[in-house]
Amino acid sequence: MPTAPSGSAKRRSNVTTMQYRPTSAELLTALAELLDDVLLPALPPGLQHQARVGANIARILEREVRLGPAALDRESELVRALVGTDDDAASLAQRLHAGGDEEFERGAWEALVAIAHDDVAIAKPGHDSWEGT
Amino acid sequence: MSLDVADGIARFLTESAGRPITLTNVAPVSAGARRQNIVLDAHDGDSVLPLVATIVPGAIELAPITAEAGVRQVAADHGVPVPRVHAVCTDPAYVGGSFLLSERVDGETVPRRVLRLVESAGIGDRVAEQLGAAMARLHAIDPVSAPHELPGIEGANPAEAALRDVDAGVAQLLSTRPVFALALRWLERRLPEPPLRPAIVHTDMRNGNLIVGSDGLRAVLDWEGAVRWGDPMRDAAWPALRMWRFRADEREIGGFASRDRFIAGYEGAGGTFDADRFEWWKVLGTLWWGVGLAMQTAAHLDGSVPSIVMAASGRRVPEIEWDLLMLVRPRIRSA
Repeated sequence: MPTAPSGSAKRRSNVTTMQYRPTSAELLTALAELLDDVLLPALPPGLQHQARVGANIARILEREVRLGPAALDRESELVRALVGTDDDAASLAQRLHAGGDEEFERGAWEALVAIAHDDVAIAKPGHDSWEGT
Repeated sequence: MSLDVADGIARFLTESAGRPITLTNVAPVSAGARRQNIVLDAHDGDSVLPLVATIVPGAIELAPITAEAGVRQVAADHGVPVPRVHAVCTDPAYVGGSFLLSERVDGETVPRRVLRLVESAGIGDRVAEQLGAAMARLHAIDPVSAPHELPGIEGANPAEAALRDVDAGVAQLLSTRPVFALALRWLERRLPEPPLRPAIVHTDMRNGNLIVGSDGLRAVLDWEGAVRWGDPMRDAAWPALRMWRFRADEREIGGFASRDRFIAGYEGAGGTFDADRFEWWKVLGTLWWGVGLAMQTAAHLDGSVPSIVMAASGRRVPEIEWDLLMLVRPRIRSA
């Protein structure tokens, strides 16, 4: 499974030279810290949960900025290998929804686990330490 | 607002009793999306009654509050621990909606605190057994004796109805997500037959809807989702969903204990545990939770409930996808 980003300009994952500082990721971290460490303690209890959720979203987006492009490349590769076209996950969903091919589903399961590892690394790191039951 | 509500409740109690009843220590304890709980002490002459008022705006009642009170009474009569119903009021003139007054049972209800208590008191096994026993007692009741307003159709297959519902939810909101398609097909191929003994099913009997003290399970709360003619394994599977373990992933039943303790309690009180059905309802419940998250996201995006919390739900879908994949893992066939 390739880990390096592809050459597509839209998806390059390590463009740093032309970015303003702070970068998007740095700003999102600063935003999360503002919400969590500065504002949250000063808020009335009724608003604290929303601030905590907001901070968590900023952290998710920070990880998405860092990890998203490479994850998207891997997802495309895996889906392409399964459905044989340059199509997106939606066409894989359609094919699985149609059902009737358990062998295909086994292969899809493997690929979807790989994709889910990447998704969870952005959405909630560590969530994939659990493997069932 | 809670002052107006307190006035309304005091007026209701006074009019019902025909003598002055006053309230002290009025404090809201939770404001869910659908209902509000307020603790209060009712003073009737020299006696003080610790109560909880559950207020349900009329427009969003799942089952009529009288049915909820009724099913709780039936459950209590059969040995399920529930807070006793003190009064039910369906006249919106008092607080602007229906409300239920229940006796107040001391103990923890907030999941993380419940788990801390269970841990420090070393009663995880006991709580899991008590939860199993409470469910078995509920499931032993003839559904005919439950209030007839509760949803559920005699003779129908509850699994089939539930699958139809999640299928529609996925089609509407998650049709582009391959994991949900895969999980739906898994459920479809393993669709269980109607249960041999359809039961009254609580549908949300998990950590968060339980009152737990240092002596163990004290009461089961939130009966608003109860149904008749349900599959008892739907109830059994629900507290085993990963999100109801609150990070204590290794203890399958609510973060309390492993499955065998729950089964011991369930079968010890006369229930019959069915592992295949249990697995099926775990997958169904997890999938249903994913649809719920997508519904919250949709409510934010279409502007009906604009909220950062609802918006964030959409980014929790990957967690559900991971959990689903682990639950529907293809087995190496041994036969």
